[in-house]
Amino acid sequence: MTVEVSSLKELVEQASGTSGSPDTQEYFVNMGPQHPSTHGVLRLVLKLDGERVLRCIPVLGYIHRSIEKISEHMNYMNCVHLTDRMDYLSSIMNNWAVAKAVEEAAGIEVNDRIRYIRTIFAELERIQSHQLWWGVLGMDLGAFTPFLYGIRDREVLNDVMEETIGARLTMNYVLPGGLMADIHPNFVNRVKEFIKYFRPKLDEYDDLLTNNVIIQERLRNVGVLSAQTAVQYGATGPVLRGSGVAFDLRKDHPYGVYDQVDFEVPVGTVGDSWDRYWVRVEEMRQSLRIVEQLLDNIPPGDFLVKKLNSKIKLPEGRYYSQLETARGILGVFITSDKKDEPYRLHYRSPNFNNLWCLEPMIKGDYIASLIGAMSSLDLVIPDIDR
Amino acid sequence: MATTTPDQADTESPPMDFGDLKSQCVAPRPSIMGRRRSLSGILWLSFKGILRGLLTTLSYFRRPSTVVTQQYPENRDTLQMFERYRGRLSLIHNEDGEHGCTGCQICERLCPNGSIIVTKDKKNEATGKPALDQFIWRQDTCTFCNICVLVCPFDTLEMTGDFESSVYDRRLLVFNLNEYAGPTADQLEKLGDEELAKAQMKPMNKYHGPVPMCGGELDGIPKLDTGKSDDA
Repeated sequence: MTVEVSSLKELVEQASGTSGSPDTQEYFVNMGPQHPSTHGVLRLVLKLDGERVLRCIPVLGYIHRSIEKISEHMNYMNCVHLTDRMDYLSSIMNNWAVAKAVEEAAGIEVNDRIRYIRTIFAELERIQSHQLWWGVLGMDLGAFTPFLYGIRDREVLNDVMEETIGARLTMNYVLPGGLMADIHPNFVNRVKEFIKYFRPKLDEYDDLLTNNVIIQERLRNVGVLSAQTAVQYGATGPVLRGSGVAFDLRKDHPYGVYDQVDFEVPVGTVGDSWDRYWVRVEEMRQSLRIVEQLLDNIPPGDFLVKKLNSKIKLPEGRYYSQLETARGILGVFITSDKKDEPYRLHYRSPNFNNLWCLEPMIKGDYIASLIGAMSSLDLVIPDIDR
Repeated sequence: MATTTPDQADTESPPMDFGDLKSQCVAPRPSIMGRRRSLSGILWLSFKGILRGLLTTLSYFRRPSTVVTQQYPENRDTLQMFERYRGRLSLIHNEDGEHGCTGCQICERLCPNGSIIVTKDKKNEATGKPALDQFIWRQDTCTFCNICVLVCPFDTLEMTGDFESSVYDRRLLVFNLNEYAGPTADQLEKLGDEELAKAQMKPMNKYHGPVPMCGGELDGIPKLDTGKSDDA
């Protein structure tokens, strides 16, 4: 495998030197950083031939907040709240990733109640993340209505989580050594109500988008990502599974209580936008199944096994831990020098790797397909830059 | 900037085997236009799919009340936030207007972004113990992480459901949370003398109490109406 390193300036100069007749002249267009369908401040430099995309070069750095550097001056409890601001649609899973890494390194054993509640909340968060993605995908493809339906159901779920956590987006719920608060007394009933409410709504989703011929034609055989390319580019989550690689940390390296529940991992066959679409819609169904199985069996116990303002000091060394967020594998790498602050904290964020799959997916296709393909990647830009 | 050439990446490495998970479900490949169908068949199936979506929207169009989540500005008077909702931070005062903050500064130390500044009197005249002077909370930098509420050993902090906090000047988001500068409710009770306790609770200046600190003489916060911006 060869890696070709070239600056953006070189690429533009190269292309401008090869001007032919006006019919076939290649040109560069900036898509973003203020483009509605990039879902944030992502800039794509597109090399175009007419309407065909020859190259697609992502340019990052527009929402870099140096979360990793700031974390070096914080204790581990405070590091957690910054992860809300990375992939804000799976904030509980991000919190959990840091908590898991610190717990494994410090040897803190959490009880069953904490693991159950964490798993339930992670799955609820996965559902609400996919609900938003589903609505936005419709909007990107030109159908505004699905967005309202996705947001409507997400609102119901947000209320359920707000009652226990007190926040709607930046949750900061999972701490190293437990949870910030116990579940609200109403929680179990409200989640049951939600499951009852949302199951039929998923069929409605199918009526609105899945069975629609326009959506099918715009997703099928568009943005094909082969399994091998997906693995080579480090894609994870629904992007990898859509390409037919059945790799899910919840099954392969179970954490939480995923080893005690029965669920299926949806995978695609071709690796086009349609497969990624279907994988996510099916994941919502499977998440409902997981929550349903766990909800009645939450064991009694404390919600915090470690006193809150006690300093957690990790032994000297390097620690890595990872889990499956709504978009793929979030890895947390901690280098510790025996203090209560990390010497270095690195996040392997799923969106960063998924983003680079855009070019092999879309090479030679139309700009309109690029929008659909990018939407099927489900990118959250603050997670790419951190 | 480093980019790889996707074509080469595809061909030069051997295929990888990840094995198969035992429980997996495989995506179906519906194709209305893909199979060999007659034009009328394609048209009918396409029409049917679109019609079902339209019927869904039509059913909600006829019953709009089923999809309304919140009529926000209209229901302002009746809107109830959840009790755990993290809105504005407040210092709990009991019915006599006494707070429970000793000024121990644990919240200040554990605040991830320095949004809390607690100043204290080293020795209160009446009790002879340190007492709270000002509890300053900067809402403009606060991330509502709830850690101050959790770590407070005296449970004197709470997050309220007040979420309408937009103002036109960032400096208006700096609050002094305590009603008076002085000892806690417990310490005042120990004094035994009601007159003396009342005297301790008198506001010392106009910035005592849960008021925005606009115009306050504080480090790092310029006065309003000076024409200087916050960063200057």
